[in-house]
Amino acid sequence: MLQVSDVETAYGKIKALKGVSLSAAKGRITCLLGPNGAGKTTLMYTIAGILRPLRGSIRLDGQEIAGLTSAAIVSRGLALVPENRLVFPQMSVKENLEAGAYRRKDAAGIAEDIARMYARFPRLQERREQLAGTLSGGEQQMLAVARALMSRPRILLMDEPSLGLAPMIVEEVFSIIKSLNRDGVTIFLVEQNAHMALGVAHHFYLMEQGRVTFSGEPGKLAEDEVIQRAYLGTRRASA
Amino acid sequence: MLFIDLLQSIADGLLFGATYSLIGIGFTLVFGVMHKINMAYAAASVAGAYAGLTLLKLAGLPPLLVIIMACLAGAVFGLLTYVLCFWLIPLSHPLATLMSTVGMLLLIDEIVVHLTAGMPVNYPTVMGGMVSLGSFLLRGDLMFIFTIAVLAMAALMYLIYRTRLGLATRAVSQQPVAAQLCGMRLGQVNALTFTISGALGGIAGSLIGSAVGLLSPLLIAPLTVKGLIVTVIGGLGSIPGAIIAGLLVGAAENVFQFVRGVTERDIYVMLLLFVFLVFRPGGILGADPGRN
Repeated sequence: MLQVSDVETAYGKIKALKGVSLSAAKGRITCLLGPNGAGKTTLMYTIAGILRPLRGSIRLDGQEIAGLTSAAIVSRGLALVPENRLVFPQMSVKENLEAGAYRRKDAAGIAEDIARMYARFPRLQERREQLAGTLSGGEQQMLAVARALMSRPRILLMDEPSLGLAPMIVEEVFSIIKSLNRDGVTIFLVEQNAHMALGVAHHFYLMEQGRVTFSGEPGKLAEDEVIQRAYLGTRRASA
Repeated sequence: MLFIDLLQSIADGLLFGATYSLIGIGFTLVFGVMHKINMAYAAASVAGAYAGLTLLKLAGLPPLLVIIMACLAGAVFGLLTYVLCFWLIPLSHPLATLMSTVGMLLLIDEIVVHLTAGMPVNYPTVMGGMVSLGSFLLRGDLMFIFTIAVLAMAALMYLIYRTRLGLATRAVSQQPVAAQLCGMRLGQVNALTFTISGALGGIAGSLIGSAVGLLSPLLIAPLTVKGLIVTVIGGLGSIPGAIIAGLLVGAAENVFQFVRGVTERDIYVMLLLFVFLVFRPGGILGADPGRN
């Protein structure tokens, strides 16, 4: 469904992505692991159109989306739940959801989807008039996911959804990821929490220093190796 | 008697202060979405008032409509400021747009001086009479400009808080990256914000012109300074803050003038700003806490 080939992205003269290639298959959960500074968030922003790649191709269902504006990419059915959630703090929960549906014109469909989000995330319904900035971290994460879903994406990108959340909330976030996937949403997930991520992923990639260095199916053998590299960011830890 | 006069000057100041509120809102709106100061704003507002008067005369319309003409002209100048001073200029350099808008301020000032040969132009005054409440007198023109300013602010509030475009404006000012992820276009929202703030500026300029009874390029510098003071006192990026601060500065200015005379007035206005910078640097309604 999503195919990234040989993508390079730079901040000024510093290349954060040095030719990244990977793909996310339709209906599955694909996970990207890697240590801090590997370029995972840069890749997410590049796919979503916030950053422009220097070169390479990004295809969504075969159509080239590299270099399009983020507005055009959202309209084509790709949504990103950004790192740190980035909810609109001074807007109510309901307004955040409306903002997520900004590119849609079907008022009835939007109202229906908001009701559907409230059904899926009852906490958001309870707090629908509350300012998003006053929500807890876990609630903000649910809101960020719901906001992204409001654009009716065919593929959902999630950047570190467990970041800064208590272990119990992390469990909840991952069960939401699984249930979204069961409902047919393709998911491409970036995570630091390799253990949790490998628990839900069908396929995973490991990224280090701007390159994909490992790709495989989750399994016991792979997991040890990958967790070590994802956390320590080295090929062989001397410890 | 003295007490009544003091109250009178406060009332007049509050009414006139509504125009400062509008100018403050214009500065603060642009700062809210772009986190940049548009130094040319008050100049463009005064230019909008001039252009509104010219349009009015060309079309032979009744004097009351000067406000609408100035509003339209101000919107055009606002958009023009965006294109010339922001869209064409690399935004990543923090000082670039400051320089470009100061340049625009000087350019507008120069054009106005040339076109009017530096002479003040008479401006239509609406509702020149007085309304007396006991020993209290309210100037009809001030009440009129206050009413129009309040209507303009109400329209703005509706736009910002009740429409889809307003939602985008707030989203961009609170969280620009997420706004883009929702499919909002920064350039479009920025251009719209400049157009709206320009329209408000045109209204403010024409209201000031009609309260003073004339327009002069000499209005530009003090209005720029007052607008910035109102923006800082209100809290950068806060629209309600700008409204309150505009009324406060208008009233304070008139009291200072009443107590110390017109020549010392602005010294005390600066002092008021200084007091705020020392004791409440974030302004009355603090700076936007929403950015991480």
